[in-house]
Amino acid sequence: MGFTGLALGALLARDGISATTLPNGTWAPPDGKPHFAPKAKRVIWIFMLGGVSHIESFDPKPAVTRYGGKTIAETPYKDVLTAGFVKENVQALEAGNTRHLRMNLFPLQIGHRKRGQSGIEVSDWWPHVGECVDDLSVIRSMWTTDNDHGAILQFHTGRHIFDGYLPTVGSWVHYGLGSLNENLPQFVVLGEPPGDCCGGVGAHGAGYLGPENAGVPIEVDPDNPLPFASPGPDVYRTEQKREFEFLKKLNRLAGVEYPDDPKMRARIKSYELAFRMQTAVPDAMRLAEESEETERLYGLDHEITRPFGEVCLAARRLAERDVRFVQVYHGTSSNRWDAHSALKKSYNDLCAKVDKPIAGLLKDLKQRGMLDDTLVVWATEFGRTPGAEGSTGRDHHPYAFSIWMAGGGVKGGHVHGATDELGFHAVENRHYVTDAHATVMRLLGLDPRRLEIPGRKRLDIDFGHPITDIMV
Amino acid sequence: MLTIMLLAANLLSAQQPDPADPAFFSTNIQPVFEQQCFSCHNPDSDVSKLDLTSRAGLMLGGDNGPAIVPGNPSRSLLYKTITHQSQPFMPLGTARLSPEEIADIEAWIEAGAVYGDSVVAEGPLDERRAKGVQLFREHVQPLFESTCLKCHSPETKASGLDLSTRDALLAGGENGKVVEPGQAQQSKLYKAVAHLAEPHMPFRSEKLPSETIDRLREWIDSGAPFEGLLKASSGAIRSTHWAFQQPRRPETPQVKNTVWVRNPIDAFVAARHDEKGLQPVPAANKRALLRRVYLDLTGLPPTQEEMQVFLADTSPNAYDNIVDKLLESPRYGERWGRHWMDVWRYSDWYGWVRQNQVRYSHRHVWRWRDWIVQSVNDEKPYDQMITEMLAGDELAPDDEDTARATGYLARNWYMFNRNVWLQDTVEYTATSFLGITMKCARCHDHKYDPILQTDYYRLRAFFEPHKIRMDRVPGEPDTEKAGLSRAYDADAGAQTYRFIRGNENNPDEDNPLSPGVPRMFGSGDLNIEPVELPREVYYPAIRTFVHEDLLAKAREDVAEAEKTLVEAKKELDEARRNLAASGSAVEEPVLLADGNRAIESTEDEAALANQQELRDNLRQLRRAEAKVTLAEKRLVAAQAHIPALEARIEADKAKHGLLADADAEALTETALKKEREARILKAEADVFEAREELTEALLNPNPKDEEAKKDDASKKDDGKEEEKKFADEKRIKEAQGKLQAALDALKGPGETYTAIGEEYPRTTTGRRTALARWIANEENPLTARVAVNHMWLRHFGEGIVPTMFNFGSSGQPPSNPELLDWLAVEFMESGWSMRHMHRLMVTSNAYRMQSWAATENPNREKDRDNIYLWRMNPRRMEAEAVRDSLLYLSGQLDFEMGGPEIPADQGEEQFRRSLYFQHTPDTQMTFLRLWDAASPNECFRRNESITPHQALSLSNSKISLQMSRVLTGVLNDKVGREKSRDIQFVENAFDMLLGRPPSQAEREASANYIHEQGMLYASAADLKPFETGEKNEKVPPSSDPHTRARESFVHVMFNHNEFVTIR
Repeated sequence: MGFTGLALGALLARDGISATTLPNGTWAPPDGKPHFAPKAKRVIWIFMLGGVSHIESFDPKPAVTRYGGKTIAETPYKDVLTAGFVKENVQALEAGNTRHLRMNLFPLQIGHRKRGQSGIEVSDWWPHVGECVDDLSVIRSMWTTDNDHGAILQFHTGRHIFDGYLPTVGSWVHYGLGSLNENLPQFVVLGEPPGDCCGGVGAHGAGYLGPENAGVPIEVDPDNPLPFASPGPDVYRTEQKREFEFLKKLNRLAGVEYPDDPKMRARIKSYELAFRMQTAVPDAMRLAEESEETERLYGLDHEITRPFGEVCLAARRLAERDVRFVQVYHGTSSNRWDAHSALKKSYNDLCAKVDKPIAGLLKDLKQRGMLDDTLVVWATEFGRTPGAEGSTGRDHHPYAFSIWMAGGGVKGGHVHGATDELGFHAVENRHYVTDAHATVMRLLGLDPRRLEIPGRKRLDIDFGHPITDIMV
Repeated sequence: MLTIMLLAANLLSAQQPDPADPAFFSTNIQPVFEQQCFSCHNPDSDVSKLDLTSRAGLMLGGDNGPAIVPGNPSRSLLYKTITHQSQPFMPLGTARLSPEEIADIEAWIEAGAVYGDSVVAEGPLDERRAKGVQLFREHVQPLFESTCLKCHSPETKASGLDLSTRDALLAGGENGKVVEPGQAQQSKLYKAVAHLAEPHMPFRSEKLPSETIDRLREWIDSGAPFEGLLKASSGAIRSTHWAFQQPRRPETPQVKNTVWVRNPIDAFVAARHDEKGLQPVPAANKRALLRRVYLDLTGLPPTQEEMQVFLADTSPNAYDNIVDKLLESPRYGERWGRHWMDVWRYSDWYGWVRQNQVRYSHRHVWRWRDWIVQSVNDEKPYDQMITEMLAGDELAPDDEDTARATGYLARNWYMFNRNVWLQDTVEYTATSFLGITMKCARCHDHKYDPILQTDYYRLRAFFEPHKIRMDRVPGEPDTEKAGLSRAYDADAGAQTYRFIRGNENNPDEDNPLSPGVPRMFGSGDLNIEPVELPREVYYPAIRTFVHEDLLAKAREDVAEAEKTLVEAKKELDEARRNLAASGSAVEEPVLLADGNRAIESTEDEAALANQQELRDNLRQLRRAEAKVTLAEKRLVAAQAHIPALEARIEADKAKHGLLADADAEALTETALKKEREARILKAEADVFEAREELTEALLNPNPKDEEAKKDDASKKDDGKEEEKKFADEKRIKEAQGKLQAALDALKGPGETYTAIGEEYPRTTTGRRTALARWIANEENPLTARVAVNHMWLRHFGEGIVPTMFNFGSSGQPPSNPELLDWLAVEFMESGWSMRHMHRLMVTSNAYRMQSWAATENPNREKDRDNIYLWRMNPRRMEAEAVRDSLLYLSGQLDFEMGGPEIPADQGEEQFRRSLYFQHTPDTQMTFLRLWDAASPNECFRRNESITPHQALSLSNSKISLQMSRVLTGVLNDKVGREKSRDIQFVENAFDMLLGRPPSQAEREASANYIHEQGMLYASAADLKPFETGEKNEKVPPSSDPHTRARESFVHVMFNHNEFVTIR
C-alpha cells in the first residue's frame, strides 16, 4: 500500500499532505504546479445518485413519446437492440445476468422545449437550469459499463466496482495540485454519500493515493461540520489557543534533539492548520451571513428547495474560499433518482428540489465573476431506459446518458455528442466516464499521465481523453 | 504534378472494364483479395473452411454458408462482412476496405461474381513450398519445440496462441493473426522474434541468433508450411531474477567494526557500512530503547515502574530479559496479529448494512482474527499458519479451532460474483505469501515476470472447488447471531478455464486447466490427495449440540406461542367489552356470508354516529377473534414441531449410522409422517394468517392513503394516485403470494423428511493442502523472504525489499540481499518461528541504534535516506497504538481479548483494544481512519501521513480530553495536588507519556504553563467556551483551576509529537 520516508520538500511545501518518495527512486511526487496553463482553478462537482433520466432532462427524445406503448421492435429503430454496444458495454453484477432491455416504450413524462439563445432542448422539469443553458456544454453521449449502482463508484474511479476502490477524480486533483487555501481541506464532500452498496465513501476515496488525498466530508452545519471539529462547550477558546501555543513550544524544545526531523516540523504545521480549520470550516458553513437576495436565489426561502439550496450555497462559499474540489451528492434515502416506478411523481418532487438551487449556484457564480475560473460539473451514474419498467418507471440504462459542464474554460450553449432517436445508445462522440475526468483535469492544467505512481499501473482507459470540443 | 495524377486517375476510372468482364476481376478484385483475403481463405488454411481462391470455393462457401449470392450484394455474406453489417467484420483485425474497393466488390457481385482465369500462380508456389518444408524440418520445428511451445502449446496457449499445428498458427491468438503466409515482414511472429515489435520473443529471454531469425523469415515467406504435429520438449521457463532463486545461507561476513556485531544481522549491516563508508550512530539511550521495544512488540509503551526496573537492572541480560518477557505477553499477539491482519487483508463483513445483507467477507469472521492473535501468541510456526489458513478444513477437518483459520478464504467471499471472489483469493494469496503480483496475468501474460496467463488460472484451479459455509456453534441455532464461517470443497468437479483476455464471458472451454504452480517454479511436486471427511464435518447437523439447541428453541417457541395466545385472549375480552358498551343502541348485527357483520342502514344522525362506533368495534372484534384463532393454530403447530423435530433427528441419526440396530426405514417413515403433520398444522396457520391479511388488504384501504387523500382532496395529483395504487397493489399481491405459498406447503413434503441440516461432500480434494504445502515450504524461494521482510519493515521502518508486495522484476531490489537471505534461511531453520526472528531483530545492535544524528554527520552525504541503516528510522505510531496508548497510560484500557467485532462508533465509549472494533472498507472507527488505519482491501504497509485531522482528533476527541482528566487524577494521587508539587507532576507526566524526563527548559516551561493556565481558569467567568459540540458529562473538567491547569498540561502532552512517535 503505502510509501515511507517523507519527501522533505514536498511535505513542507504542502501542509499536512504526506507526499512521499521511494528511497532510491528518481520519481518525485507532484509539486502542486499544473502541467500546463489552467483554465479553471477549482471544481464544483454535482453528482446525482440513482441515475437521472437523460431523455427527460437534457436529451429529450420525442420519438419515445411518438412510439409510446409500442415495443422497440415495432419502431423503425429496432436496430438498437442488436447493436454491438448492448453486449459490449455492460458488465453485469452476476455473470450473464444482464438487466432487461425494457422493450415497451414509455412516453416521456414531461414536456420539453428549446431554451436560451442556443435553443438547446431541455425538459420542463429543469426550467431554472434551462435558463442557464447558454452557459452549459451538454454532453449527451456518455456511457458506462455497470448496470447497477456500482456505477456511482465507477463514475468516480473510472473502473467497474469489481476492480476495487481506486483513486477518484477528486483525489487525483488533490494529489496533483494540492493547496489553494491553507485553512481548509482541499477536497470537500457535501451531501449524503452513496450507500455502502454502491461504493460508499469510496466514491470520494483516494485508494492507493492514501487517505490524505480523500475527500473530507463536511456537514452543512456550522456547529459540527467535520470530525472532531470542536472539543465541546467544556473547553474555552482561549484555553485551547494557549494549549496549541504551548504545544508548539514543547515540540520545538523537543526538536532541539532532532535538528532536521521533517516529521516534527510537519506535525507542528498540522496543528497550526488544524487550529485555523477549526474556525475556517464552521465559518465557511455560516450560511446565515448571506443576503436575503442570495438566499432567494438558491431557494432558501422555500421549504422544498432549502435543503439542497443550502448545500449549493455551501459549495459556493467553499469555492469562494478556494477549496480546490467540492464534490456534492444528491439522491440518497428519500431523494432517489432511481425511478423504477412512479417516475413522474418522484421526478416532479426531485427536480423541484434541485433545479432552482443548481441554477442559483450557476447564476451566483456568474454574478460574482467566479464562473470564469470555477468549473461546475453536473453528472449522474447512468441514464434510464426509454422502455417502461412496470407501468410507471424506467430501469437503469448504462448505454447512454447526459452530463453537463459550465464555467472555467467551457463553451456555453453547446451540445456535444448525441444519442440515437430513442436515446438508447450514445452514437456520436461517445465518451466513457474517464473522458469526463480527463476534461476536468485538462481544464485544471493537469496531465493525468504525469501523476502516475511507481508500481501502480494505470490502463489507457483510466486516463480518458479530454473532450476538447467543449473547451473554449 | 498533382493535378496530372488526378487527371490520370480519372482517365483510368473512365476506362474501367465492365464488372462482368473477367478483366475486371483481375484488375479490381484480385489485388484486393490477394492482399486482404487469401492469406486466410485459401485451400490450405481453412479459416471458417472458406476458400476464396476460386469461384467454386466462393460458391461452396464456408462454415457460415455461401460467401456470396451472385447478383445480390446485400444478401451476400462477404459483402455484409466487409461493410461491417455482419460479424465477423472483415478483413479481420485490420482497417476496413476503402469505399472504392467496396464499391468494386459490390459491382462485381451485382454482375455475377465472375472470376479471372487463374488466381494463384501454381508453379513457383510449389517450389517455394518445398523449400519451406525443408526449412521447417531443419530450423523451425526444432526452434518451436525447444523454445516456443513451452508457452504456446495446446495446453499452455499463452495469449491464446498455439503453435503446434499450422491451423493453430494461422488462427492466431487473442491479439489476432501472428503469421501472414508469404509475408514475413507483415507477420507478428517474425516481428516479435526479430525484436521489431513488442512483445519481444522468446518471452523474457535472450534474442535468438540472427541466423535462426533469418530462417524463420524465409519459412514464413515460403508460405509457412508444416509437417505433422509438434510437441514441446520438457523443461520449465527459467528465470534468473534473484527472488525466484532458492535462498542459501550466506557466510556471515567479516567486518571491521567487530565490537559492534552482536549477532549475524549486525555483521550483514556492518558489511554494508564498510562498503559505503558509513559509521553507525551510537546506541539509543536505555529509555528510548525500552519505549521502542515495548511499542514494537506490544503496541503499548512501558509503565513508569517497568521503566524504573529496567533502568535499575544493570545486568548484561537486562534487555534480553525484557524482550523475552514482552514476547510472552498476550499483548504481543494482539500487536503482531494486527500487523498480519493488514497483510492478509482482514475485514469484517460488510455490504448492505441497512438490510443486514452480507455482500463481502463473512459474518463472524472475527473468529479468524482471534485465531491470528492466538496463533501468534502460541508461537504457531508460520508455515503451519499458512497451511491452516489455506486448508485448515482439510488438515484437521473436525477441529473447529483450525477450521476458523480458513476465515482467510471466507474474507474474499463476494455475494455477486464468484469470479471476483476467486480473483481476490488468487491474487492476494500470491501477493501476501509470495510477494508476486498475479493481477495482470488475469488478462494477459505477465509483462515483467515469467508468469503466463495460464499460470494464473492454474493457481485459481486450486481454489475452484472451494466455497464458504456457515456452521452452527453450540448455544445458538441461528447462524446470523453466531456461527463459524469456514471453507470446504463444494464441488470437486468444478472446471477452471482461462478467461480469454480476462473476460469471464469468454472462457477457453476447450482447454480445462488442472491446478498447478507457476511454471517458472517447476512442477512444484504437488501431491494432490483427496481427504475423507468425518461425519461431523460433512454432515455438521448430526452433532448433538445442534439437536439440543434446536429442541430447546422449539420448546421456547411453544412457550412463546402460549404467551401470544394468552395476550390474544385478553384482547378479545376487551373487544367484547367495547362492543357490549357501544352495541346497546342498535340491533344485533347480521352476519354476512363473507364473515363480516352488517347493520341495517339508518337515516338518524345520532344513530349514524353510533353506527360508526359500532362498526369500528365490530371490526376490532373481528380482528381480535381472528387473532385468537391464529394464536391457537400457531400453538398447535409449535407443539407439533417438537415430535417432528425429534423424529427427524432420530431418522438423521439412523441414516448416518449412529443408531446401530435401528430400523432406518421405519424411522424415516415416522419422521416423514410427523413432519407432514406438523407442516400441515403450520401451513394451516399460515393460510389462515394470509387469508386474514388479504381480507384486511381488500376490505380496508391503506390507512396512510386515506389520510393522504383527506390532505389534498382538492388537488388532483396523478403522481400520488399512481403511488397509492402501486402500494395497494403491492400489499394485496404480497398477501396473495403468502397465501399461495402456504397452500403450496400443504401439498408437501414429498418423498422424504427434511434433513436437519445441509449435507456436504464426503471428501475434499486436497488441492488447497497441496498448494499450502508448496507455499509453506523450504524449497519455495519467496515465502520466507517475504515474511521476514514484513517483520523487518515493522521493526526498522523500511523493508529490505521496499516493495513489500512485489519481489518480481518490476519491484525494487533488496537493499541488503545477503541479509535478507540469511534471515529467510534462519527463519525456516528455526522452524518458522516468528518469536525467534523478532528476538534476533530487536536484540541486534542495528535495532538499538538511536534514530537521530547530528546535521553534520558525514553519513548524510553518503546515504541520505538511510537505506544502509546507519541509524534507526523514527516512526509514527500506527492508529491502534495511538488510541491504545492513550487509554493504557490513563489506566483505562480494557484487556479483554477476542470476541465479535465491536461497532465502530463505540470507539470513544468502549475501551477495548482497537483491533477488536469493526473494520471494513465502509465502516471504520473515525479516529483510527484519520491515523491511517489499514485499508481492509489491501495494506502491505501503513501510510504515515501527518494531517490537521489527526491534530483535531487528539485535541478535540472525547477520549483524549477524558483521558487527560483521568490521568491527571492518577498523577495527582501519586505526587500530591499542591502547587508546590507541580514540578514533580511535570516530571512524572514526561516520564509516563514520553518515557523520558523533561529537559530543564521543558520543566520550567511546563510548570509555568500550569501556573498561567491556573490563573486563566481562576477568572473563568470572562472566558468564552466553544459553542458547539458535546459536553462530557461523564468526566467533566475539574472545577478547581489548578487541577484543571494540570489536566490541560496532560492534554497537551498527549498531543506532543513524541507521544505518537517511536524514536
